[in-house]
Amino acid sequence: MNAWLACAALLLVAGLLPVVWGTARGPLGHRAMAQNCGTSVVCLVMLLLAQGYGRPAYTDLALVLAVLGPVGTLVFARLLADELGEAPRWARPATALAVGATALVVIASCVATGPGRAAVKVALVGVLLAAGNVIASRDLSAAHRDGGHG
Amino acid sequence: MTDALVLISLFAVAATATAAVVVRDPARQALVLSVLGLALAVLFTVLQAPDVALSQLAVGSALTPLLILLSVRKVRRRGRREEGER
Repeated sequence: MNAWLACAALLLVAGLLPVVWGTARGPLGHRAMAQNCGTSVVCLVMLLLAQGYGRPAYTDLALVLAVLGPVGTLVFARLLADELGEAPRWARPATALAVGATALVVIASCVATGPGRAAVKVALVGVLLAAGNVIASRDLSAAHRDGGHG
Repeated sequence: MTDALVLISLFAVAATATAAVVVRDPARQALVLSVLGLALAVLFTVLQAPDVALSQLAVGSALTPLLILLSVRKVRRRGRREEGER
């Protein structure tokens, strides 16, 4: 029994289920925002798994996802701009929650790894993930405004 | 603990795949499909296959949705043009 793995399992249940629920129903704008949150959830799960299994190499997965996940959301924001509709009311709190959880997990992982290259890599993943989440979330809201009038 | 993680990610994959089938509109399916890619990546990682998970992430998170959305857009545009010609 490993505390990191327990946290990963908890985050997977508490995070991925609402994401699947959110992407499967509701207006298109809500679905896109839920998909954006899914990237953060899974990236954090990857970081926790890397710690839990004691394999720093697994951090690469989180790094790739932190780069490609927001790119995928931006693809949706660009190509679905006309039909995205209104951004959900929970967009801002959800983004804030994702950024907060990212900071929490990244700081915990950095403290557990100790100073060195691995900690820098984890911090880089955290910064990329938080920035990507905020940018993609903003772009989803902006796509609605531009698409609605244009 | 590891078994529980495997079970949870298997359940997540099953739930997401079911959702991808139940949703009928292709553009919406692309959204669910990208979440399915994420769930599959978690499953592969939990099964200690990070290389497979890496390629799944690379393909599933950005490339598959892009291909689907571009195809949907092209088909719709062609349909609109043919309607205009009639």
